[in-house]
Amino acid sequence: MQKAGTIIHMAAAGAPHRLSRFADWADRNFRWLLVAPAVLLILALSVYPLLFSLVVSFINYDFQVPGHAFVGLKNFSMVVFDPVARWSLLLTAILSGVSVAIEFVLGLAVALIMVRSFPGRGLIMSILIVPLFISPVIVGQAWTLLLQRPFGPTNYILGALLGREVTIGWLTESPWLYISLIVADVWQWTPFMFVILLAGLTSIPPNLYEAAELDGVNAWQAFWAITVPHLAPMMLLALTFRLLDAIRMFDTIFIMTGGGPGTSTYTASFYLYTVGFTQFHLSQATAGSWLFLIFTALVVTLLVRRLLKPETT
Amino acid sequence: MAAVRPARRPRRSAVPLLRFLLLGFFLLFVLWPLYWMFNTSVKPSDDYLAMPPVWFPDAPTLVHYWAAMFTYRGLEGLINSLIVSLSATALSALLGTLMAYSLARYNTGGQHLSFWVLSQRFLPPIGIILPVFLIYRQIGLYDTHIGLIIAYTVFTLPVSVWMMFAYFRGMPRSMEEAALVDGCTRWEAFWRVAVPLAAPGIVAAAVFAFIACWTEFFFALLLTSRTAFTLPTVFRAFVGFQGAQYGEAAALAIVSLVPSIALGILAQKHLVRGLTLGAVRG
Amino acid sequence: MAKVRISGLHKRYGGFHAVRGIDLDIPDGEFTVLVGPSGCGKSTLLRTIAGLEEISEGTIEIGDEVVNDFRPRDRDVAMVFQDYALYPHMNVARNIGFGLKARKMPQPEIDARVNAAAQMLGITKLLDRLPRQLSGGQRQRVAIGRAIVRNPRIFLFDEPLSNLDAQLRDEMRGEIKRLHQEIATTMIYVTHDQIEAMTLADRIVLMRDGVIEQQGAPLELFERPVSTFVAGFLGSPRMSFVPGTLVLDGGRAAVRLGDTVLPVPPGRETRGASDGKQVLLGLRPEHLSRAMQEAVPPGHFRYQATIDLLQPTGSRSYATFQLGGEPVVAELHAHDVSRPGERIDLDINMTRASIFDRETQRAL
Repeated sequence: MQKAGTIIHMAAAGAPHRLSRFADWADRNFRWLLVAPAVLLILALSVYPLLFSLVVSFINYDFQVPGHAFVGLKNFSMVVFDPVARWSLLLTAILSGVSVAIEFVLGLAVALIMVRSFPGRGLIMSILIVPLFISPVIVGQAWTLLLQRPFGPTNYILGALLGREVTIGWLTESPWLYISLIVADVWQWTPFMFVILLAGLTSIPPNLYEAAELDGVNAWQAFWAITVPHLAPMMLLALTFRLLDAIRMFDTIFIMTGGGPGTSTYTASFYLYTVGFTQFHLSQATAGSWLFLIFTALVVTLLVRRLLKPETT
Repeated sequence: MAAVRPARRPRRSAVPLLRFLLLGFFLLFVLWPLYWMFNTSVKPSDDYLAMPPVWFPDAPTLVHYWAAMFTYRGLEGLINSLIVSLSATALSALLGTLMAYSLARYNTGGQHLSFWVLSQRFLPPIGIILPVFLIYRQIGLYDTHIGLIIAYTVFTLPVSVWMMFAYFRGMPRSMEEAALVDGCTRWEAFWRVAVPLAAPGIVAAAVFAFIACWTEFFFALLLTSRTAFTLPTVFRAFVGFQGAQYGEAAALAIVSLVPSIALGILAQKHLVRGLTLGAVRG
Repeated sequence: MAKVRISGLHKRYGGFHAVRGIDLDIPDGEFTVLVGPSGCGKSTLLRTIAGLEEISEGTIEIGDEVVNDFRPRDRDVAMVFQDYALYPHMNVARNIGFGLKARKMPQPEIDARVNAAAQMLGITKLLDRLPRQLSGGQRQRVAIGRAIVRNPRIFLFDEPLSNLDAQLRDEMRGEIKRLHQEIATTMIYVTHDQIEAMTLADRIVLMRDGVIEQQGAPLELFERPVSTFVAGFLGSPRMSFVPGTLVLDGGRAAVRLGDTVLPVPPGRETRGASDGKQVLLGLRPEHLSRAMQEAVPPGHFRYQATIDLLQPTGSRSYATFQLGGEPVVAELHAHDVSRPGERIDLDINMTRASIFDRETQRAL
């Protein structure tokens, strides 16, 4: 480093220019001005529509019936007593539950394998996350191509493996069509679980396992004693997030089965969609959406708030 | 950055074989539909119903791509998707960064505001699609690019805000403070110092917002029609019809997924942060 | 150049009372060091002067204006941060000139000033580099350059040398001292390092738990500490404290430590403390030396000590022995004592010793 030179005296630069009235006000209210645009947008396109739909739920808003009379809870009861609505809720619960459970187990298994480094790991990692960036519609389309008779090769392959002819209608026969929907969901979202759980696994200090090994603990015991407790919060986070997304299942249903045959693959979202946009019973649809919303809100408030404390990021 | 565990010498021979098999199976599972889709997209229609199935055509053709783009108006959908996604991404990244900075540095609105924005992420679209549809029809935003752009901006805001919030929280304040003492107003310190430093985070948030817009179906289906329809909605033309459209559907799918996959792989370093709204560092 | 006056300053963070009623008068051109253990409120105080923190109560005046409501940019102060806080995306020249650019100064003038500052600090060759290409010492010079180039009324330093290694710290300390000698601008400097405080300050302000424990010239705090806290904070190795009792006999005072009674030289203040008062005798290592002559020098007390522990540093040796049941450290020449267990005669300089009230921990 150069030797410093003698001190040269400089004129004082003074304070910068005074702020105009507007600039002064803007600077004082800086924090509010920054959040304003986003908040206004969310108010306009989320809060306002929600309130609007709440109002619609209580009146008679139907393209086919004139007038907007107040009807109290009639729309809500129509939804609650509609057998298709109840079926769609049940189906949603089953499909989401099973899919998420499979995604979790599979994701965990793959994460446990991918924790170690090995040649080609980077490439495999890139391949494994691909399904996450694909539109669910396309996922549905891809599996339709595989499963739809007579074009899809699935029955042929199964036939070749099992040694006898397979003639399953994967998109038309129950219970196979539910399996198809679950497989499509698992295909797309297992990487979600996998990525999050892997992040959790790599944050566990390796010396815990080394100490356990020295103590003579086997891999299975180490898993339950070390891995699971450390991973538990991450597991809960992944499960909650995934579940909250899974119950909204719509895109794959739309493409793969169109809700059919009949109403056998109506999920909650799909049911509400048909009521609102094909039958145009708008009040009923908004009432149903509100019920669905309340349920989701409960889960979000109970679980997500705890998982994502804003200050402790 | 967390450490990947070093490879260990296996002590029993069965377990690593199991691992290898499971991983191999899963890889196959992931690649299989993609392969079949690509295969279908270049397969001449004569080979569609061939038994045994044609694993790769002798005479691959691009005819389906052409049909998908023009006969089925896939190209238009693609252009619309591009316009809408880029605009919504830019808006979302901008507004999200502004809000995130305020939340991170000033704790604006405390817990309540941040939780409120966050919870928007979990709002089921079915909950607001009906009123938004009605409102849009009323004010003339139905089937317009702008209408969809606004909707997509709101839809991607929570993730943008939360990713940037985590990013700003990780940045030391001293540079912004130095800027304030040096002569900047709060806005200048933000725009000239904090934002350039947060550029990698902003890019990552933008990539995820783009992918979300690019792959979105539900809003596009119900808020657009013949003018502003996006690429995913074109697939509705292939629903139900038990006909010879397999190639076109596959071709369109391939065209659509290439950009989003490419972006996703480029941004994979930030993937965990994006998926968990910044709660977990990758 | 300006004077700073702080009156009745309080700063609360929710429930935590970080700064409790500070009154401080800093004359123009003085180098004031705010020193104290972590959490004492010194950085908070500095930041309120800069305008980076709002104050809960009190006033801050710079020059003759009350600046409570002024933004940092309007206070005409410059600050050097502990982590340098250089703008990573700008090169050194733009870093230094940033504040001038914000004042919309014409570019040629900016360039002239930046070059002058760079020359002063010996970093002219670094002007094109980015901060990440610089070493810690170079970064700190750039940070100082950024401050110099505006010639502000006040310089603020927030533990600027804490991130440097010991050798670099010594060098930079000298540079900052020289800077002050040449520019003579008011400087307020925060550190937890008592050596920096002693060497740099015209005035030391020693803080603890949000209040000023003692302020004054370095030697004053060193030789006349008002409390055991001040006495123990300054000086290395630390002053040794031995509990004992004050003994008054006629007009003469003495301190009894166990079996030993050390007379207090006449003229030493005991502030009217009564006989039998519980006290602490404070002895700095340099107040104890090996007895050189037969006769005991006036004001000294001769004590035969058995050395328990020896810590040689090359030029000196620090010897620990027992006095009144407590370990005491004496500073001896390198070859005074060769090994533990040796007994030597020590002269304890009672004219320099400090006596503290054991209960209040304040000096008598």
